[in-house]
Amino acid sequence: MAGLWAALRDVMDPEFPITIVDLGLIYDVRRRGDVVEVDLTFTATACPCMDFIREDIRERLLREDGVGEVRILEVWSPPWTRARISAEGRAVLRKHGVAA
Amino acid sequence: MSPFNDDELKQKVREGFLLESPDEMTEGYRKAIVTQLTVQGDTELISAPAYWMAARDAPSNNTQVTVVAIIQDELAHANIAYRLLEDMGVSREKLVYEREPAQFKHPYGFDQPLENWAEMVVANGFFDRAGYTLLSDVFSNTSYGPLKRALVKVDLEENFHLRHGENWMRRLSKAGGEARAKVQRAIDWMFPMTVEWFGLPDDRKRHSDQLDYRLKGLTNDQLRQEWMSHTVALCKRNGFRAPAHRDDATGRYVLEYPFPCRYDAAAKRWLFDEGEITWDEVFDRWKARGPMNERYVESIRRSHASVSRLLGAA
Repeated sequence: MAGLWAALRDVMDPEFPITIVDLGLIYDVRRRGDVVEVDLTFTATACPCMDFIREDIRERLLREDGVGEVRILEVWSPPWTRARISAEGRAVLRKHGVAA
Repeated sequence: MSPFNDDELKQKVREGFLLESPDEMTEGYRKAIVTQLTVQGDTELISAPAYWMAARDAPSNNTQVTVVAIIQDELAHANIAYRLLEDMGVSREKLVYEREPAQFKHPYGFDQPLENWAEMVVANGFFDRAGYTLLSDVFSNTSYGPLKRALVKVDLEENFHLRHGENWMRRLSKAGGEARAKVQRAIDWMFPMTVEWFGLPDDRKRHSDQLDYRLKGLTNDQLRQEWMSHTVALCKRNGFRAPAHRDDATGRYVLEYPFPCRYDAAAKRWLFDEGEITWDEVFDRWKARGPMNERYVESIRRSHASVSRLLGAA
């Protein structure tokens, strides 16, 4: 699973230079044969970039060896809060003038 | 009144001095930054109706929301430029509502109709990349403190726009067939359009007030090269043709067509076969403005007079 988490760390938030893992959007990632399942949440129920983020995740994971299909499951519970942002993520956001 | 004369101010900004107030500007500095901010504000403002025209072709509700979020950013960026101009005694009211459409200073590329989703995403990939290139340079080098601070937000958002374009160009490329062909057709007219946007080549432009006053740091050709270093690679990795390549000996990007050249706006086609034209001919085309100029300007101000009247009557 470490490889899949590392791959997800290549996927950046559409706006800030922070990975979606550091932002706390990934609840879980599992592999069954050539299928990868990702539990994904968003920072807001009406995030304008859902399609954008899903496409980036799919594209990145399909480049991993032996991955033939990516299933993205949207998870709204527990809801995302700022507490889910990692320490590295916080440092990036502070540098760009965003309170986190 | 500026406490400095023009030569002193040029010397100070070369040493890294940041102006914090219009009171510190000489007349020459003020004139140069008013021009720069007017171009910046007009470009952001007119990109909104241009993008909205294409946003109507968004393939899903969520992608349309993404483009509308981009349009919101562009309007906010225009607001920043016009707001800073007001500090310098320029009337926003006159700029936005009282100029003739042809007097707006946005690039000719934003006078063109964006007619489908492929053109929308190539505009994000090319035009917003140009905006990002130009404004990142201003951010790194400008001697005007209030603008430097405002650009932190602008650059982050432009990065989001251009990534949206790059993402979708990849996606439409992978889809193949008609999706891919439409992106190629968009690239064919929009690549040279953006190359031209950066203006006169350095060998024809020996002097720039914006460079002397440190309102920017890179020359037109340096900015054009920076833009091509991203967009030529973007086209290549997605299997699209772009009429430029990197010369391995010099590390510079070389155009594969006569530059500058004629453009048939109705057919959205560059007339490479007719050979190189003069920059005066390009300036004439820019001044005459493109096919959507009046309609775009009208669309951002059509209710201003009528609603103002209603408010006045209340």
